[in-house]
Amino acid sequence: MAKRRRIPAGYLFLLPWFVGFFGLTLGPALTSLYLSFTNYDLIQSPGWVGLANYVRILTADSKVAESIHVTLLYVVLSVPLKLGSALAIAMILNRGLRGLPLYRALFYLPSLLGASVAIATLWRQVFSGDGLLNRILLLFGIHGPSWVSDPDTAIYTLVALSVWQFGSPMIIFLAGLRQLPRDIYEAAALDGAPPAYQFWRITIPLLTPVIFFNLVVQTIEAFKAFTPAFIISGGTGGPINATLFYTLYLYQEAFGYLRMGYAAALAWLLVIAIAAVTALAFLSARRWVHYEA
Amino acid sequence: MTTNTLGRRTLLGTSAASLLSLRAQAQAATRLRLYWWGGVERAERTNKTSELYMKAHPSITVAGETVGWGDYWTRMATQAAGRNLPDVLQMDYGYIFEYARRGALLPLDAHVGKELDLSGFDAASVDGGRVDGKIYGVSLGLNSTSIVYDRETFNALGLARLSWPVTWEDFAKRMTEATKALKRDGIWGSTDAGGSGPALEVWLRGRGREMYTTEGKFGATAADMADWFAYWAEMRATNACVPPDVQALDKLDVDTSVLTLGKALVGFANSNQLVGYQAVNKKKLDLAMYPAAKTDQKSGQYLKPSQMLSIAATTKNKDEAVKLLSFFVADTEAGKLLGVERGIPASKKVREVIAPSLDAMATRMSSYIAEISDKVSPLPPPPPRGAGEVLTLLLRTNETVGFKRATPAAAGAQFVREATDIISRG
Repeated sequence: MAKRRRIPAGYLFLLPWFVGFFGLTLGPALTSLYLSFTNYDLIQSPGWVGLANYVRILTADSKVAESIHVTLLYVVLSVPLKLGSALAIAMILNRGLRGLPLYRALFYLPSLLGASVAIATLWRQVFSGDGLLNRILLLFGIHGPSWVSDPDTAIYTLVALSVWQFGSPMIIFLAGLRQLPRDIYEAAALDGAPPAYQFWRITIPLLTPVIFFNLVVQTIEAFKAFTPAFIISGGTGGPINATLFYTLYLYQEAFGYLRMGYAAALAWLLVIAIAAVTALAFLSARRWVHYEA
Repeated sequence: MTTNTLGRRTLLGTSAASLLSLRAQAQAATRLRLYWWGGVERAERTNKTSELYMKAHPSITVAGETVGWGDYWTRMATQAAGRNLPDVLQMDYGYIFEYARRGALLPLDAHVGKELDLSGFDAASVDGGRVDGKIYGVSLGLNSTSIVYDRETFNALGLARLSWPVTWEDFAKRMTEATKALKRDGIWGSTDAGGSGPALEVWLRGRGREMYTTEGKFGATAADMADWFAYWAEMRATNACVPPDVQALDKLDVDTSVLTLGKALVGFANSNQLVGYQAVNKKKLDLAMYPAAKTDQKSGQYLKPSQMLSIAATTKNKDEAVKLLSFFVADTEAGKLLGVERGIPASKKVREVIAPSLDAMATRMSSYIAEISDKVSPLPPPPPRGAGEVLTLLLRTNETVGFKRATPAAAGAQFVREATDIISRG
């Protein structure tokens, strides 16, 4: 009796979450699914167009292909580089440095700042024609291009910005490294295994659950990246669409050109793509993630 | 714990009280929302004008909302979607057709002569706010496209002023000379205006074409566009204008323009922006007309409302909203506060009253409009839906040529294909 009486109370406590989930997540998501089959322009009432938006996206819109190319390039470059640098820094910090909390905070700082408008603006300054980077290069006699506004290099400045924000995967790696059992390393050292061997044969395999977690989270983040490209290109995705992320294109269609229905369809395809990539990651995880040492 | 509870209660009490007082106010007064884009200067002038109106009309509260140009249309679209548009809103010539034809704006014809005083307006000014024959916007000020250039440096280098008429060919030569005369790295004669819609429009009109035909089709041929891109390719090749990686940083606004950044002496802009440009440029600036196709014909430029006021179709206080709009565009006291910051007032009455109080920059803007008014052409046909997207396309295509990813000929053909597609999609 007593137990059963507690159940409604439990739901009562969950109510705020339910309200948030149904009102602010599920409701808008279903609305946008409906809108993706309409020609909604934000001002007039939406009119049903069936699959027309999806058909155009998949067959007739060259900008979709361009933006997918840009986004994939960004994901494929930024995620491994970011995870690599996060792991490297985490390993250095794990050596038992004095003042570890301070370093941890310092390295985490860019992640707190990274998604902000101010940092993207700063980035624009650093990598522009007469920006900080080129002034440093000039000391070595190198005349650098205007990195952010050259279509060949613009995307790499965004990758660099992403890699610079390695803080949150680093913290997670650090926590993972601290839990690795010492005795295995001691045994390996006694058997004469060199550090590189220990890294590849012990650290990495034992760390695979953490690597997997970081990989999934960071990949999803990378697909969703928007602010840096928006700020650095002034919302255009330029030069010549070199930084036209899929999310940025979606935003332009929705709010720039008042094609909210079309943008909703773009958004749902992004959801499907992210879900598919995540599912692939989980499938592949069976082969390379070891949950028990 | 005790202080916490007390704090919370006090907070609740205060917010309840303020809510109540807000309600009381709302019942007593009609609240009108006024929305505009612009900088600090404009906000001050606009708020003072609203206060003056509220003093004279105690039953009205005017709530001002303002953001920069970059966020203005996004926010407007969002508010339109929420059926929550401000009652009175600042409107741009490039957007009025999109909003009016989608039914978001109130036609004002029925109010003219009643709540809306257009007696001091000439016909051309009123027509600038018409969409499909009906008045949807009223001009807040007259302007035209204009070159804004660093006249001080021009004088110092012994370069001739850009006084009308300068042909496009001549302009190219003179910009190359300017770059040479500057004798410094990292600064050029002209902006790269190959991606600028207004510059293209003036150039096309000089060739007897319109950017958009009266049927709402894209008006230039692939050959026209190829010539346009080739002109700017030549400008870059001869060092007459900035290289593409410098131009790409220009977000087409006052603060990031290559003129303001000290990369070029000449910028392509609008006449009412002189005040804004001068505020962020140390050198003395001046206005000049865009180059011309031939010296013996009229310019492709035209006088247009620099911005308008419109009323949202969803407003609950039509008459009061129109009265407020009328106050901003036609009242002489309001005119004194607003000055020429939004362009030269369209009402003759207002112009006459404010003329004696103008400063040097404002006087120059007025004299520019007076100088060009017999050299300009009539208003072009209205831009169709999708015109905004064509501007983005132009910017990108000019970059493609600038970064040598396409020849001018290929870019011209590609541009016409894509522009036609955008407009047919609407």
